[in-house]
Amino acid sequence: MSLPLLTRTNSADARFVLTPRVRALGPSVAERMPGRVPGAGEQYRFHFDMGRCIGCKSCVVACNEQNGNPAAINWRRVDEIEGGWFPNTTRAYLSMGCNHCVDPTCLSGCPVDAYTKDAATGIVRHSADTCIGCQYCTWNCSYGVPQYNPERGVVGKCDMCHGRLEHGQAPACVAACPEGAIAIEIVKTADWRAAVAAAVPGLGVAVSDGSLSTTRVTMPATLPPNSRPLHLTNVRPAEPHWPLVVMTVLTQLSVGAFASIWLLQLLGGSAHLGAAALTALLVAGLALNASTLHLGRPIHAYRALKMWKRSWLSREVLLFTMFSGVAALYSAVLWFDVPGGVILGGLTSTIGIAGVTASACIYRVVSRPAWNTPYTLLQFNVTAAVLGPLLAAAVNATLGAGIGEGAGAGVGDDLGGNVGDASVRWLALAAAAMAGAQLVLIALRFFRLIAAGRIELQGTARLLSTTLRPHFVVRGVLLALGGIVLPLLAQGALLLWAALVVALAGEIVGRYLFFVSVVPKHMATPYLELGSEAA
Amino acid sequence: MSIRSLLGLDTRAERYTYGLDPVAGYVSTQKIPDRWVATTCGYCSVGCGMFVGVKDGRAVSVRGNPDHPVNRGNLCPKGLSEHHTIDASNRARQPLLKRDGRFTPIGWDTALTTMAEAFRRVQAEHGPDSVGVISTGQLVTEEFYALGKLVQLGLGTRSFDGNTTLCMSTAVAGYKGSFGSDGPPGAYEDLERADVILLIGANIADNHPILCRRLQANPGTTLIVVDPRVTKTAMMADLHLPIRPRADLALLNGLIHIIIERGLVDHDYVDRHTTGFDALKESVREYTPARVAETTGLDPGLLYETAAIYSTANAAFIAWTMGVNHSTKGTETVNAINNLALITGNIGRAGAAPFSITGQCNAMGTREAGFASSLPGYRKFESAEDREALAGIWNVPVERVPAARGLAYPDIIEAALERRIRALWIIATNPVVSFPNLGALTQALEGLDFLVVQDGFHPTPTSEFADLVLPAAIWGEKEGTYTNSERRVSKVNRAVEPPGEARPDFNIFLDVASALGVKEELFPGWSVPRDAFEEWKRVSAGRLCDYSGMTYEVIEEQGGIQWPYPAGATDPAATRRLYTDGVFQTADGRARLIPVTWEPFPEQPTGEFPLVLNTGRTVEHWHTRTKTANVPILERLSPHAWAEMNPRDARGLHLKAQDSVDIVSRRGRIRDIELRVTETVAPGQIFVPFHYAEANANQVTQSAFDPVSREPNYKQSAVRVERSCPSGGLGASLWRRSERP
Repeated sequence: MSLPLLTRTNSADARFVLTPRVRALGPSVAERMPGRVPGAGEQYRFHFDMGRCIGCKSCVVACNEQNGNPAAINWRRVDEIEGGWFPNTTRAYLSMGCNHCVDPTCLSGCPVDAYTKDAATGIVRHSADTCIGCQYCTWNCSYGVPQYNPERGVVGKCDMCHGRLEHGQAPACVAACPEGAIAIEIVKTADWRAAVAAAVPGLGVAVSDGSLSTTRVTMPATLPPNSRPLHLTNVRPAEPHWPLVVMTVLTQLSVGAFASIWLLQLLGGSAHLGAAALTALLVAGLALNASTLHLGRPIHAYRALKMWKRSWLSREVLLFTMFSGVAALYSAVLWFDVPGGVILGGLTSTIGIAGVTASACIYRVVSRPAWNTPYTLLQFNVTAAVLGPLLAAAVNATLGAGIGEGAGAGVGDDLGGNVGDASVRWLALAAAAMAGAQLVLIALRFFRLIAAGRIELQGTARLLSTTLRPHFVVRGVLLALGGIVLPLLAQGALLLWAALVVALAGEIVGRYLFFVSVVPKHMATPYLELGSEAA
Repeated sequence: MSIRSLLGLDTRAERYTYGLDPVAGYVSTQKIPDRWVATTCGYCSVGCGMFVGVKDGRAVSVRGNPDHPVNRGNLCPKGLSEHHTIDASNRARQPLLKRDGRFTPIGWDTALTTMAEAFRRVQAEHGPDSVGVISTGQLVTEEFYALGKLVQLGLGTRSFDGNTTLCMSTAVAGYKGSFGSDGPPGAYEDLERADVILLIGANIADNHPILCRRLQANPGTTLIVVDPRVTKTAMMADLHLPIRPRADLALLNGLIHIIIERGLVDHDYVDRHTTGFDALKESVREYTPARVAETTGLDPGLLYETAAIYSTANAAFIAWTMGVNHSTKGTETVNAINNLALITGNIGRAGAAPFSITGQCNAMGTREAGFASSLPGYRKFESAEDREALAGIWNVPVERVPAARGLAYPDIIEAALERRIRALWIIATNPVVSFPNLGALTQALEGLDFLVVQDGFHPTPTSEFADLVLPAAIWGEKEGTYTNSERRVSKVNRAVEPPGEARPDFNIFLDVASALGVKEELFPGWSVPRDAFEEWKRVSAGRLCDYSGMTYEVIEEQGGIQWPYPAGATDPAATRRLYTDGVFQTADGRARLIPVTWEPFPEQPTGEFPLVLNTGRTVEHWHTRTKTANVPILERLSPHAWAEMNPRDARGLHLKAQDSVDIVSRRGRIRDIELRVTETVAPGQIFVPFHYAEANANQVTQSAFDPVSREPNYKQSAVRVERSCPSGGLGASLWRRSERP
C-alpha cells in the first residue's frame, strides 16, 4: 500500500500528509527459520524483534504446552518496559527463552555436569537424569533461565525445542508468535564474540556477565530516555530455602567455634576445648545433613563433588566435607589430649573459612543484585565470628562451673578454672565486638539498598521496609541482645547459652531475610543499560 | 509425595517425555492426541479456526488451523490454552436444586419439571412477561435460534434479552439507524487493504491480537487510534488522538465539520445513496475546530490533519469496540461514525467500511437469529409482513409472533427490582461480575421467586444466587455454528463428551420445550443442531443475513462462509462486503445521515470523587474469568486485578506502585487492588480491568444506559482512590504512616 494520496483534495494544502511509520510485513514461520544447519564455528540463536512484539504472551503459553510444563514454570517469559510521558508513552516487551550462551554460566557452575553445549547446534542442553536439583544454576544464570520443578526435583530449561529443530520444525514460540517477532538464526560464534567485545553498536545483546548470550534483540527504533522496567509485578518475598538457611548458619557457627577453639589453644588453652570441639563437630554434622534436604534428589548428593575444578557449589561441598573430616580428627586429638592439635586446629580453621568463602561465592551472582555485593562474604564470616566464640564460651562456662561445683571449693580455685573464666570472658567480648560489626554491616547494607538506583535493589529495600519489616526489626534486636547485651552481662553458663541461642536465632532470621528479600534481576534491565550506553 | 520422589529416585520422567505427532510435530507426549477435531475458537468474535486434540476422550491440546482464512494458524494465548477450560475443576456436573439454602443434586427430569412448574406458576400469577430470560453470545446460532423460539412462542414471555446488550447492542442500534439493518458492512481483509485505518475505542492488540496481525500485512497504511488511554494499540499508531473520556462524538462531529468546510465531501456518493445531508451539515455547524479542540483536549491542527488524512484516503476503514459502545451516547456515536464513512463514500468498497468488531464468539449469531432486538433474520417486530412471513415458516398463528420488542437486559433487572419480573432464567452469562452497579443487581436477584442459572460452570458468582442450576456443555462439547465479526459463519464441533450429567444447551432447550409441552409444535422432530440449522436457513433466506446456500459440510471445507450466501451462490471463498451497490436496507434504499449531539458523560468528577474510572480488558483473560481463571497458565500470567494511575496523581495522593488501594464511587468500593503507576493513563483518570470477581469493577460503575441500545455506560465513573486499610501487620502500618507527610 502506498501513502494515502490526497487524490480528492481540491485545495493545494498538502501539509496534512503524514508519513506512516514503516510497518514491516510479518514474516511467515518459514522465513523465521534459518533453512540450514549451523556449520563449523556456528550455532543457532534466537532473534527477537522488540519493535514487533505486542506483549500477547502467546509464546509463553505455547512453550508451556509444547513442554507439558506446569503453569508456575515458564521457560519463555515476557517482561515489560515503559518510557515517555503521557500521551507520548512507549511500552516495549521482551520475550526471552534461553540465550544459549557461548560460555554458559549454568554449565560452568553446575556441580554435577548436567549441562552440555551441543556441538552441532550450540544449544545449551540440560540432563534431568544427571541433575540433583541443587538449583545453583537458577541463580548462576544471569538471565534467570533455568527453573526448578519441585514436582520432579530437578531443574529444566528452554532447549530451543531441540527435538523440533531436529525434525525440521520451528520451535513452539517461533511458530506461535502472531506478530512474527521471534526467529531462529545462525551466528558465527567467533564473529559474535569479537563484535560484542568491540561493543559494536546495535548488536542487541545483553552483556550481563562473561557468558556471551547469543540472542540478538532488535530494539525499537526509539525508546524514550526514561525507559525503565515496568512495575516489578512481583515484589514479593522469594523462596526461603530453609535447608540453606540452616546449613549456612550452622556451618558458619561450627567454623567460628573451631577457629575460637584453635585460638584459645594457641593462647594457652582452656581445660574444656575437647568438649567444645565435639559440640561444634555435632553442629557441622547437622549442617551438612540439612544441606542435602535442599536437593531435589538428596540420594544423589555425592555427585555434587564432581565439578570442584569449576563449580563453587562443588567446592563448597568439598571444603565442608574436608572440614568435617579434619575437624573430627582435631576434636579427637583435643578430647584425648594428644599432642599436635595446634596444627590440626589451624588446618580445620583454614579449610572452614575457605568453606564459608565458597558458600558466599555461590551467592555472588549477577541475577540476584542484592546478593552480588561484598557484604555477602563479609556477613557470612562475621556470622561465624559472632556465633563461634559464643558456642565455645558457653561450653567452657558450663563445664567450668560443673567441675567447680562438683569437686568442691578447693578445686574451683585452681589454675584451670581461672584460665577458663578468662577465656570465657575474652570469648564473650570477641562475640560482642563481632556482633557490633554485624550490626554496622546490616545498617550499611540497608542504606546502600535504599540509595541504590537499580530497581531490583530498591525492591529489596522495599520488601525489608514493608512486608519484611517486622522480621528485619526482630533480626536486629536478636543480634543486639544475643550478640552484645547478654555476652557483656554474662556471668554464668546459663546466660551464655541464652546469648548463643538468641544470637543464633538472630542469624537464622537474618539469613532467612537474605533469601526472601532478594529481588531477581528484571529481565529487560541489561537491554536498557545497553540502550543508555548506545545513547 | 512418595519416598522414591522425596529421595530423588523418581523424577516423573514419564510425564516429561516427547514424541512425534504427525501434524503438530515433536511435542510433549502428554499433548499428542489420538485425533484432531476441527472447530472454531469459543472466546472472542475474531473467529479463529483451530483443532482440538483428543486423547482417551480428553481434550489435551489445541493448534491453530493453518488453512483458516481468519487466523492462518495463529492463536492468541487464550486460544492456545483453550482445552484447559474443558477440564476445569469448577465445571457444573449435575442439576442442583437449592433446598434450605443448600444445593442438592437432583435428576434432570425433576429439574425440568420443577423449572416448568415454577415458570408457569409465576406467569399464571403475574402475567406472561413476569418470567425473564437472559441469554448470551456464547451459544451456537442453532441454540440461540431454538431458545428464541422457545422463549417467545413457547414460554410466551417478551422479557428476553442477552448479555450482548452489555457489549454490542449499541452497534446494532447504530447500524439499524443509519443503514436500516444491523450487519457490519466490511471484512477483516479491509484491514489489509485500507490506506487509512481509524480505530476508535478499540484496543485490538490486547483484545483481538489475531486481528492485529492484519495491520502488519498492510505496511503502508496510516493507523489512527482514538483512545483516552495509551493502549498497546495506540502505541502502534501513526497518529494517536488521546481524547478526553467520551469526547469521541464531539471529535467525529468536528471531523465532519472540517470535511464539509474544506469541501472534502464525496458529494457524488452522498447525492446518490444517502438522505439527510443538509440536516447533518446544519447539526455540525457548531462543532468548530476550536470548540472541538476544547472538548477533546486535542490540538486543532490534529483535527485538521485527521480530517484530511481520513477524507482523502482512497479507502478508509473505521473500526470500533467498547470505547464507543459502553456509553449513554453510544448509538449516536455509531451514527456519527457511519455519517463520517458515508459522506466520504467509505463504505461498500475494499478497505472502506465502518466496522464494529464484535465481542463474543457468537454475538453476531444472536443478532441474526434475533428474537431480542429484532425478529429472526433482521426482521422487524413492527412489520406485519415480517411477522406473517415467520408465522408462515413456523406454521403458527401470526398472533403468536410478538409485535413489539420486550424488555432489554437492564430493564429486565429493573423490573425484577420492582418485582414485576418474578422469575429469571440466566444462560451462560455471569451478571454478578458483568452487570453495572452490582448492588442494584444483587438486590434484584435476591428478590426473585425463582432463579434458574444454566451454565457450564458452578459455582460462579451468579450461580450462587440460583434456585436451580442446570449443568451445560461448553465449547468443545457441542456442535453448531458461530458467526464472527466479518459475518463469517464457522463450524463448531464436539470434541469430547460433557462432564457428568451436563448436556448441550441445545438439548436443554428441547428438554425444557418438552417439559412445557411445546416441543412438537415448535421443534417437530428436532434432535440435533442440524435440524435447527436447516430451519434457520429457510428463515434467513432472502434476508440480508442469507444462509440458504450454506451447508455444514461446505462451511467446514471453506473455513467459514461469509453471509449473505443465498441458495445458488457459487464461491464460498469470496470476500463479501455489504452495500457494494450503495443500496441500503431502508425503505428508500438510501442510508440515513443522522444528526447527533455530543453531551458530557453523566457522572462528572467532583471534589469528593475527582477521578474518572475507565474499565477494559487484558489479553490473558476472557470476560468474567469463569473460564480463564481455571486455565493455570493464564492465571499465572495475570493472577489479580490492578488499577493504573498516572504518576502525577499518585504523587499527589502519596501512593506508590504496588500499594494496595480501594476505589470508591457513590455506589460502592473495590477493595485491596494493586496500584500500578504508569504514563499510559492521563492524569485525572484511572483504569481497572473488569475481569476479576474478587476486585469487581462493577461495584463502582453506574446504572446509566444508552436510551436506544440500552447498553450500560461502564466507562467514566467518578471515583476516588484511597489507600487500603493496612493488612501487613504492625510493621506495614508503621511504614505506611511514616510515608504520609
